[in-house]
Amino acid sequence: MTGPEPSTGTIPVGPMLSMYDPIHVGSDEFGQAFYIRLIYKNLLAAGEPGGGKSGLLNTVAAHAALSADSRLVLFDAKDVELGMWDEVADEFVGPDIGRAIITLLRLQKVMENRYAWLRAHRRRKIEPADGLSVITSIFDEIAVFSTVLGTEQEQRQFVALLRDLVARGRAAAMPVVAATQRPSVDIIPKSLRDLFGYRAACRCTSTGSSDIILGDGWSGAGYSATDISPVNPGEALLIAEGGIPQRVKAAYLSDADIRALAGYAAWTRRNQRLTTAPGAAIAVA
Amino acid sequence: MPSSNRGFSGRGNGTITVIEEPVMRSYRRRAKVVFYVTWVITAVLAATVAASRWHPIIALLAGIICGYILGAAAGVIVAAWPVIRAIWWWTPETLITGSLVYGWIELADHTTLPVRLAATAAIVGIPAAIKPVRARIHQVTWCLVTRHRIRTCFSEFIITNRTGSLPLILWARPTPVGERVWIWLRPGLCLDDLLDRLDKIAVACWATAALADAASASNAAFVRLDIKRRDVLTGTITSPLLDMIKSGTPASQRDTAEIPTALDLPQVAASEVTPIRPTPLKRPDHSKAPASASPPAPAAADGSDITDWI
Repeated sequence: MTGPEPSTGTIPVGPMLSMYDPIHVGSDEFGQAFYIRLIYKNLLAAGEPGGGKSGLLNTVAAHAALSADSRLVLFDAKDVELGMWDEVADEFVGPDIGRAIITLLRLQKVMENRYAWLRAHRRRKIEPADGLSVITSIFDEIAVFSTVLGTEQEQRQFVALLRDLVARGRAAAMPVVAATQRPSVDIIPKSLRDLFGYRAACRCTSTGSSDIILGDGWSGAGYSATDISPVNPGEALLIAEGGIPQRVKAAYLSDADIRALAGYAAWTRRNQRLTTAPGAAIAVA
Repeated sequence: MPSSNRGFSGRGNGTITVIEEPVMRSYRRRAKVVFYVTWVITAVLAATVAASRWHPIIALLAGIICGYILGAAAGVIVAAWPVIRAIWWWTPETLITGSLVYGWIELADHTTLPVRLAATAAIVGIPAAIKPVRARIHQVTWCLVTRHRIRTCFSEFIITNRTGSLPLILWARPTPVGERVWIWLRPGLCLDDLLDRLDKIAVACWATAALADAASASNAAFVRLDIKRRDVLTGTITSPLLDMIKSGTPASQRDTAEIPTALDLPQVAASEVTPIRPTPLKRPDHSKAPASASPPAPAAADGSDITDWI
């Protein structure tokens, strides 16, 4: 993928962002900018359709795309929510369970290689000074992969590989950002859901759904995503590890904004694309 | 000196109760204890130090006098603490009012009436005409109001300790949604006492909601109250990333894939799709099928069983 030289006489340069930096996701309820540190953590966003999950995912994708030390792997069962970032991503997986599994197996192999590298260097986690890229995997509509596409065996394998990536990817600088509508046990097992350090509950129709996302008992303590206005997409209750849910609103990126960001990121990354044949040496289990 | 509450109040007979009698009694008793303890300790320490240079009897007398002075000072501070606290509560208003009165008197002594009127018009008119200044004054005014409303909350329905001592309401500053107030709690109060009464606090402060949180990770007495009067989450939040990119970036050449044309149902024939028999999501029935015939269940990377996940 190459493009013409800039006609303006200036060459776009990367904005010097890093995935180790705090990521701006929006505003908190006091009007202050709200940031999360995604490195060494994972983010799960859930809520009813139109609640703003994809907006949150696009915000994270934008930061990852503009970060110099970052690589993106995108899984989008709807094809369009993250589709505009396909030029930036090392791999963009649409509604194709077979390709999703292949890509997850590749990520698993990378993760194991990174752990072997860490062990060889007698270390426990990837640090910024290591010079390794942060591989951010973003999944939109997990439920389609885990319950709709493919055979039952493929769905189980997808969930098993996703669980492995979520569980072990943190220290290897391979965070996961995922979105689904209702992370009930038929979509994501509870053991997997609890591995997500950040959980964002967008608008829900019942306190039970809110508790499924945030954790048991939060609605009883006054933190229920049912209180979020249905006409205010993007607002969510976001809980961090060991913290209290905070009311935030995700930044909104229009299609034009995403095209501009993705185009800029694609230009600055034009020499970083993968050249190897994906999945050539990986056997599907 | 009976009174109806713990703050300033008129009694209708020409007197004003600043601190109610039970609270004053409690502080007087505490002040006496502080006075004697400080006196004795200071006297002993001062006499010990002075004895190294002076005659022991003179050193003892000097220690007693020194202890008396320090004990009295400490006792007076303790006894006057409710008054000091009230002065602290009203310090901004006192300073503002004093400044205005003093300024007006100085202006009257040195200028003519037209100049005074012009100065008054400028002081009032300029902030009223400039929106940011007006908004800032509005916010600061609400901060002053909120401090007094929170004091009223503590006085009316939050106090739980035996002596009825009020917390120290430290300072307030505007936030985009209202005001944020820092409070130093006294023994007998805790953050939960505030969390249980947030609805009442919001009503007392004429706000939409109130939030309480710890202001210090190491001291539970230091808490923070957020008074919300506006909701800022209804607007559109823009991403700062848009400011980091420059327009005019050359567009990359996309791989041109074939664009589908069958975009309505009549354009997709039934013969073009392959029906998929839905797979029941059930556990394999080991009693009916041999174990060797069933597909092996995938295992997670850490080896744990995942058969109960889906």
